[in-house]
Amino acid sequence: MKLIALLTILIAIIFVVCLSLGPSSVGFEDVIMLLNGKADSNVKYIIIDYRMPRIITSMLVGVALATAGCSMQALFRNPLADPYILGISSGASVGAAIVIFLGIATTFNIMLSAFIFSLITAFVVYKLGETKIGVPIYTLLLAGVAMASFLSGLTSLLIYLSGKEMHQIVFWIMGGFWAARWEKVWFITFPITFSIAYVFLNAWNLNAILMGEEHALSVGIDVESFKRRIIGVATLLTSSSVAVSGIIGFVGIIIPHAMRLIVGENHKKLIPATILFGAAFMPIVDLISRTITDGEIPVGIITALLGAPFFIYLLRRAKVQ
Amino acid sequence: MILEVKNVRVKLGSIEALKDITFKIEKNEIVALLGPNGSGKSTILRTIFGIIKPYVGAVYLDFKNIEKFDFRQIAKRIGYLPQENPETNLRVIDIVMLGRTPHLNGFKQPSKKDLEIALNALKSVGMNGFKNRKFSELSGGERQKVMIARVFAQQPEILLLDEPTAHLDISSQIEVMELVSKKVNEGLAAIIAIHDINLATSFCNRILMVKDGKIVRAGKPEEVISRSTIKEVFNADVDVKKFGGKIYVVPKMKTRNNKNRLIHVICGGGSGTEIIYKLSEKGYRISAGVLNVLDSDWQAVMDVEGILIDEAPFSPISNEAYEKNIKWIEKSDAVILTNLSVGIGNILNLKAALKAAEEKKMFVINKTPFKERNFVGKEADELYRLILEKSRVFKNEEEVLDELEKIFG
Repeated sequence: MKLIALLTILIAIIFVVCLSLGPSSVGFEDVIMLLNGKADSNVKYIIIDYRMPRIITSMLVGVALATAGCSMQALFRNPLADPYILGISSGASVGAAIVIFLGIATTFNIMLSAFIFSLITAFVVYKLGETKIGVPIYTLLLAGVAMASFLSGLTSLLIYLSGKEMHQIVFWIMGGFWAARWEKVWFITFPITFSIAYVFLNAWNLNAILMGEEHALSVGIDVESFKRRIIGVATLLTSSSVAVSGIIGFVGIIIPHAMRLIVGENHKKLIPATILFGAAFMPIVDLISRTITDGEIPVGIITALLGAPFFIYLLRRAKVQ
Repeated sequence: MILEVKNVRVKLGSIEALKDITFKIEKNEIVALLGPNGSGKSTILRTIFGIIKPYVGAVYLDFKNIEKFDFRQIAKRIGYLPQENPETNLRVIDIVMLGRTPHLNGFKQPSKKDLEIALNALKSVGMNGFKNRKFSELSGGERQKVMIARVFAQQPEILLLDEPTAHLDISSQIEVMELVSKKVNEGLAAIIAIHDINLATSFCNRILMVKDGKIVRAGKPEEVISRSTIKEVFNADVDVKKFGGKIYVVPKMKTRNNKNRLIHVICGGGSGTEIIYKLSEKGYRISAGVLNVLDSDWQAVMDVEGILIDEAPFSPISNEAYEKNIKWIEKSDAVILTNLSVGIGNILNLKAALKAAEEKKMFVINKTPFKERNFVGKEADELYRLILEKSRVFKNEEEVLDELEKIFG
């Protein structure tokens, strides 16, 4: 409980700090001025229409990826499972690349296409993994790997063929929040809050599934149906994130893990902690990405630079155990 | 409560895993599904729990087809413990609390009472001091007890346990079986898939021997466990022994074939038990006499299926029995006189022994001075002295066996 209160306060502070910092000269006093209704329209635009949707998007995406990662790790009983394990990232990339390749790229089109393609990918992977006795986790994993590799090939082909738009596709894939707008926030708010609530309410069952499917069954959980629903909401979370911010790696692994080290494996505690830490972590990384240089570094690059060493650390730890 | 498995046939892929399984169980009963690995024991348990659906037949819980229940309803009444223990860092209490899952509402908010039930379950397996420990840090036996507590926390009417003692050391095996036994005495029923024959015979009321998806024998332990049924089901050569009303099996010693040698043992009052079992292990044929029925040596000869020259309980040796004893002494290749006590009732055994000594085939085990074992007097002293003069004398059983080995081996 202490941790939850602490994280909530932290999120509030981060929100204000992120609102006050950026490449332009608009700062903390301007935020206060805005609250008093004394800010000019330029300041208002930067804070309300630029920074605020960007911070909210990054929070939602942080929460979504962390929660999806945490659910997948329980479902696959593997600490290295991530939200993209069903090939969602490569599906979204193909969706974005097609729109850019066809020359009909608007922010909204890219988002919609990436969203739809990632949903389709997850569905196909699920169907490929299906057997007579349900959906064994390992066939799902193999289907995901196969599908991801096929779709990456397709994305590469589109990048190769798209000539001068190539830069746009690559930049999109690297992931970031620079294109965050209120319309995007509205688009993802419902699927993400719904899915988060679902996972939160099913934390108990995630504990059971962590024990193994046979054990979950033995305490009365209809495992196949639960698996389907968790894969469903995790897909919704990941697809929504990818659609608005491209592919941001490692967040789905780092955050649940850091929380696991602090609060333990019990999902009743782990899920709330993961949600809050996700919301706190992502805006900070985004802040770094937009202030560290004159221009902007894609967030995906920063999380990968942070995440890869952490990933190696986890692997080493697993080996020791 | 009554659970019925009726004409159940199950297919796993294209293989028929269960072929016409039928049995019933009621409360206060522990039934063992005994069979080798891969015989279908686990499949029977999973079918009862409704995980696998039979294509012929059905499982009935209080006369209602199990397929009519959902998993939550089944889990409220049946506590199923799968064979493989989980690998998890969850705390012990979190795991035991999972047993409350079928009793919780949709939002899965456990009440104080749920916690109390879980703690009691943990206490009943003697693990209450471990509630905040990580499961992954426990030993095999401790893990199994935690899992049993999880099943108890479910407060089921029937326990389905899949190899609950596999991979455990002997004290944990006994502990686990006693926990189950105790719970069953409180009014539960238990079906245990097990491949340890001795645990099954010691703790279960009934044994169903399973082979290739069929129940090949069913009944009380002493009715179904025999050399031939173990050979049939497990394809193993064992000896079946009786001990204190229970029966147990031991691996049959692989020995050189001494079957054509007959050793006659003159014993009584337990003085021959050790040598009788050892001779049998070495593969000798055995005859012994004269022994009173129900004497512990008599029991030993029964066990090794030797030839008995016996007399009614507590009766002195009759001339008829004596003559018969002499006849078997003549037939035998060697005669052993054990460290027996001599009274009026069995003095004829010393006379028979002297006969054997005169034939130069007597081996005497002389551990304690004869005067301490003589309750007759001078006559017996004289007989024993004559016997010793004409025999090979040894201090213990091992020495005799070595000597026999030298002669016959």
